[in-house]
Amino acid sequence: MLAAEDLVVAYGENVVLHGLSISVAAGETVALIGANGAGKTTLLRTVSGLAPVRSGEIRFDGQPLGRRAAEARVRLGIAHVPEGRRVFPGLTVAENLILGTTPWRRWGQSYAADLDRVFDLFPRLRERRGQLGWSLSGGEQQMLAIGRALMARPRMLLLDEPSLGLAPRLAEEVYERIREIAAAGLTILVVEQNTVLALAVADRGYVLENGRIVLAGAAADLRQDVRVRQAYLGR
Amino acid sequence: MADFIQLCVNGLALGSVYALAAIGFVIVYAATGVVNFAAGQFVMLGTFAGVGMITQGALPLGLGYGAALAAMALFGVLFFVLVYLPLRKSPVVTIIIGTVAIGIVMQNAVLLSFGSWPFRLPSPLDGIMLQIGGAMITAHAVMVVAVTALLIGLIWLLFYRTALGIGMRAVAQDVEAARLMGLPVNRLLALSWVLAAMLAGIAGLLLGPMWFADVNMGDPIALKAFAATIIGGFGSLPGAIAGGLFVGLAELLGASYVSSAYKDLIAFGAMILFLLVRPQGVFGERIQDRG
Repeated sequence: MLAAEDLVVAYGENVVLHGLSISVAAGETVALIGANGAGKTTLLRTVSGLAPVRSGEIRFDGQPLGRRAAEARVRLGIAHVPEGRRVFPGLTVAENLILGTTPWRRWGQSYAADLDRVFDLFPRLRERRGQLGWSLSGGEQQMLAIGRALMARPRMLLLDEPSLGLAPRLAEEVYERIREIAAAGLTILVVEQNTVLALAVADRGYVLENGRIVLAGAAADLRQDVRVRQAYLGR
Repeated sequence: MADFIQLCVNGLALGSVYALAAIGFVIVYAATGVVNFAAGQFVMLGTFAGVGMITQGALPLGLGYGAALAAMALFGVLFFVLVYLPLRKSPVVTIIIGTVAIGIVMQNAVLLSFGSWPFRLPSPLDGIMLQIGGAMITAHAVMVVAVTALLIGLIWLLFYRTALGIGMRAVAQDVEAARLMGLPVNRLLALSWVLAAMLAGIAGLLLGPMWFADVNMGDPIALKAFAATIIGGFGSLPGAIAGGLFVGLAELLGASYVSSAYKDLIAFGAMILFLLVRPQGVFGERIQDRG
């Protein structure tokens, strides 16, 4: 469904991704793990159109994305849950979710069923639907950011560090929901520093170091890999 | 007592005009971070759009108002395309200085086309007086307050009850996240400028019959609208409304009960006091937190 080939991305002189290639098949959950600064966030930003490609190509459904703007990519079905959640702080939970429907909704079309589905997945959001974004806890904001992306009726979800800044139990809860979303058939590319959580939900994984893929394989194999265990699992 | 009622109604009418100018100012500031120093000239241009269409163009009032507002909307688009877009990647201070420059250009362009002789803009309610509690009040003043109240209601509906307005608030808070939602960021930013220009236009059309249409009328309005936003809370819509009404009332009551020489002292004194003691204004919490 998604394929990046020889992707080079740079901010000015500073090359962040050095000819990186990854692919995600339809229905698959793929984890991209690596240390801070490895280029994980940049890769997701490039896929969703927030960062420009220097060379190489990203294809979605076999179609090159080229210089298509972020606004157009979300209409194709790529929903990006950005680093730091980026919930609209001065908008209520319900308003944040309504904005998620922008890519597909025409004037007067109902989104009630979509809203119900998100509220069933994250019951806390239903309770807090009238609260402003800034007043939510970190875990609730993450749920809202994911819920907002689901409101776009995406074909693929890009998740940037969903566990960031969350207490371990909350992080596990968020990943439990991600597992449910994946089980429902949605294609997911998740970027994560918390290797244990990410490899537990993923089918496959890539290890990113300094803008290059250094290791790739089935998630189950990566969990057993000596290098991964030493570098990222701390044992 | 009759005098007091009359002053209050006229003060509210003047304050309504300041409030409309301040609301336009706040909408642009919240959406783009630009402090629009041409805001007063926007109102002046609105008055002269009315003069051009109605006094000189001899259009009937209704049509003239429509044409003037359409011209102001077009002006908002032009301002966005010719001033904001080319400068949007520069530091925000550059854009702010740009608005100062455009304000001067606007003032002189109007001077060039209309001359320095003041005009009088008619009101649909010219010559009609109402008697309220023994006070004689122009129907126009009451209309100004009513129209402003209606507009505030409509703006509230737009921002809090329509997807379009929620999208505008989202763009004001986080442009990048707004793009990820698929929102047409540039169109929504343009709409902020159009809205500000049209509100200023309405303020100008309402103010025309109360003052004379004069090319220099924009400066005092800009200062009052600025004072209103600081007193009410910078970036806050309810603050702009409350601040505008306060400044209008202070101006007329001050002129009458203290001295017309000191009429501006109360408003600006209050502004300075707020800057010293409560810089976030009355409505301290920022409704448009920029995240």
